[in-house]
Amino acid sequence: MTVKIVTDSLSDITDDNSGGLDITVVPLTVLFGRETYLDRVTITTEEFYRRLTTQDIVPTTTQPTPQAFADVYNRLAEETDEILVITLSSKLSGTYQSAMGAIEMMEKKCRVEVIDSQTVAMALGLVVLAATRAAQEGMRLDALVDFVHQALSRAHFLVYFDTLKYLAKGGRIGKAQGMLGSMLSIKPIITIKEGEISPVTRVRSQAAGIEYLYNFATSFPHIEALAVEHSTQPEAADRLVDRLAVSLPDKLIVRSVVSPVLGTYAGPNAIAVTVLEGTGI
Amino acid sequence: MRQSEVITGQDFREMFTCATAWLEKNASEIDALNVFPVPDGDTGTNMLLTMHSCMEEAYRAPDNSASAIALAIGKGALMGARGNSGVILSQILRGLAQDVSGKESLTGADLANALEEASRMAYKGLSNPVEGTILTVIKDAASAAQKLVSEGDANLNSVMEAAVNAAKESVANTPTLLPILKESGVVDAGGQGLYTLLEGALHYLRGEAEQIQFRKPQIIASSIPLTARPPEMIAADEVPFGYCTEFMLKGQKLKPDKIRAKLEKKGESLIVVGDDTTTRIHIHTLDPGEVIHYAASLGTMHQISIRNMDEQHRDFLEMQKDKAPALDMAIVAVVSGNGLAEVFSSLGVTAIVPGGQTMNPSTKDILQAIESTSSDKVIVLPNNKNIVLAAEQVTSLTDKNVEIVATETIPQGIAALLAFDFEADLMTNARLMKQAISAVRSAEITRAVRSTKINSIKIKRKQAIGLLDGELVTVGDDTTSVLYDTLAKVDLDNQEIVTIYFGADTEQTEAEQASATIREQHPQLQVEVVRGDQPHYHYIVSVE
Repeated sequence: MTVKIVTDSLSDITDDNSGGLDITVVPLTVLFGRETYLDRVTITTEEFYRRLTTQDIVPTTTQPTPQAFADVYNRLAEETDEILVITLSSKLSGTYQSAMGAIEMMEKKCRVEVIDSQTVAMALGLVVLAATRAAQEGMRLDALVDFVHQALSRAHFLVYFDTLKYLAKGGRIGKAQGMLGSMLSIKPIITIKEGEISPVTRVRSQAAGIEYLYNFATSFPHIEALAVEHSTQPEAADRLVDRLAVSLPDKLIVRSVVSPVLGTYAGPNAIAVTVLEGTGI
Repeated sequence: MRQSEVITGQDFREMFTCATAWLEKNASEIDALNVFPVPDGDTGTNMLLTMHSCMEEAYRAPDNSASAIALAIGKGALMGARGNSGVILSQILRGLAQDVSGKESLTGADLANALEEASRMAYKGLSNPVEGTILTVIKDAASAAQKLVSEGDANLNSVMEAAVNAAKESVANTPTLLPILKESGVVDAGGQGLYTLLEGALHYLRGEAEQIQFRKPQIIASSIPLTARPPEMIAADEVPFGYCTEFMLKGQKLKPDKIRAKLEKKGESLIVVGDDTTTRIHIHTLDPGEVIHYAASLGTMHQISIRNMDEQHRDFLEMQKDKAPALDMAIVAVVSGNGLAEVFSSLGVTAIVPGGQTMNPSTKDILQAIESTSSDKVIVLPNNKNIVLAAEQVTSLTDKNVEIVATETIPQGIAALLAFDFEADLMTNARLMKQAISAVRSAEITRAVRSTKINSIKIKRKQAIGLLDGELVTVGDDTTSVLYDTLAKVDLDNQEIVTIYFGADTEQTEAEQASATIREQHPQLQVEVVRGDQPHYHYIVSVE
């Protein structure tokens, strides 16, 4: 039986970019005050960013309940005896705990392994896609766990934020706190390091930011896959994809949209790039 | 969501259990915030231990009325209070208990009143209440709760929600009220602790007690920009911390007010709380013996704790080092003008050497700044052509690994600073920062100190002159027109951002006007105006 792969909506995997692979995406919840939405299920990314930028209310997010994971496990257990769950960083959300807690609530006997990816967005997404392909080729759960850990160490994620406003509002700023006090309007480039938001550098314009992302992506000697994401400007992300496609022909470039959950912090006009480094073999 | 009209004594106890559990998840983060009154890094832990003592008593209450539970919690607080924040928290809980006393259950209005009493009691225990601390947070929470009730909404959940929201805002605002917090780049630890407790209580009222095990409280971000200083600079110039001395005094007719008056001169952070039979005393003193001696004459002492705060402080610095932004590199910059100094600090410069045109710092000044940083790897930004050489001398005078990024203007310095890569090593950063210099153009507008002729341009003394990347390009009588003429030499249509740093001799309105004019002529440009306060230069402008 094929190992079934489960992830959360922070992986930025959607029907459009998963190439028909069998991946179950458990949505986190986005709250605008008392209105709750399931990430990308009951609210589209477009609608989310429209409300984020036009309304005063600061959206918040919460992890899926253990029950949401348990329902998925129980359903998948009908079809398989091994499930692999890969969640976003446990330092940014309690999703990992929910996924773990749900194991206790299972009705049917089935092995479940949960991996805390210590990252987000397509850095998680590209690894999930690779793991799903490996599972379909017959890799079993124990080997998959090693495979995912190894792949995660090769996933490099950078995101350009057009503003620090949303990061500050959301409170989950980690080591980027030092960037907030700037007297100038600066735009940070951020990564996820050891599971937490961590500053990389600062630029003063989106053009300079995208240039930085481009140079970053093209600096790797071996690349297995790439991903480019936007929050509100698909054209800007598409232009970056076009440039990358020229310098890195034959490379898979996955397009996605930054999840509303991450968008709560990234705000509008953000652009993210992920490189899944190749092993060179 | 659960909406209760009243809470029973049992609910009241469960609410505190939930609040304590919520605090427990946040205690170590709160420890790391702690800088006031003494940066010893134990606020979260102390508040948690205080709560544990409360809960222990709460389960020993004689009956399950709100009154009995509240009084037990108040008693537990007094018995188990630890540290400054713990003692103030104990006052808050005792105030709460006093107001709840005699009630079987609680309504929203009761809760608002109890918070009010808690706030009053907290202030009462201190000889010198300081705002921007847990005190301000309880005061703001209480008044928000009262306001809601007076507006006619006495729903229990709404009242607690109002208190939590007000507490959150109040914590975010603490750095505005207490300068040490702003300097240290943190919000108040005790305030954060109280907010976390209130939020935990709200979770219970909303029926979320089960879910919170999968969530984590958040440290509130400050409402004003904070410039985090490296840990060793925090409170470095303060008096020795001495001994944190705490004990409980039992006896007859203790008169806390009299004890407070007596001990006021014996040390700092004095807190005396309690009643005539049981009084808790907390003081930071250089001579604990004297305090103990006096207390022994009044009654019997219990739970005596005397800790050396210098040691605690050292441990705290060690802890902070682990948590500080991953800057094992320091950056030293030569800057003059308060505004520019603030710009550089806000972008992460560790030490600033005052100086610039006509006041070049010596090699020794720069060396001292380098030595004052805690890092072995230092990048120096001279920011002036005439200082580059002095800076370069430094490398042979120190054991530290020093890289000079030869910035010749302020805009170059800022561009270099922005290019700093938090992930890269010293050599890579020096290279990245040097590369960034060429990406920015610098315009400087000043007045000639004597008549001369440069680049075949005739200049009279005191005329305004414009320099572009250090080269004289224009001269005129009015500084603002010279600014326009200088910028006209740059192809502004292919640029993105113009930042105008106006000097100490320039009016802000004048700079704003110049900015508006430039924007009008080049609508695609983003133009920013920043107070630089620099001497001599009316304008320093970066174009990138």
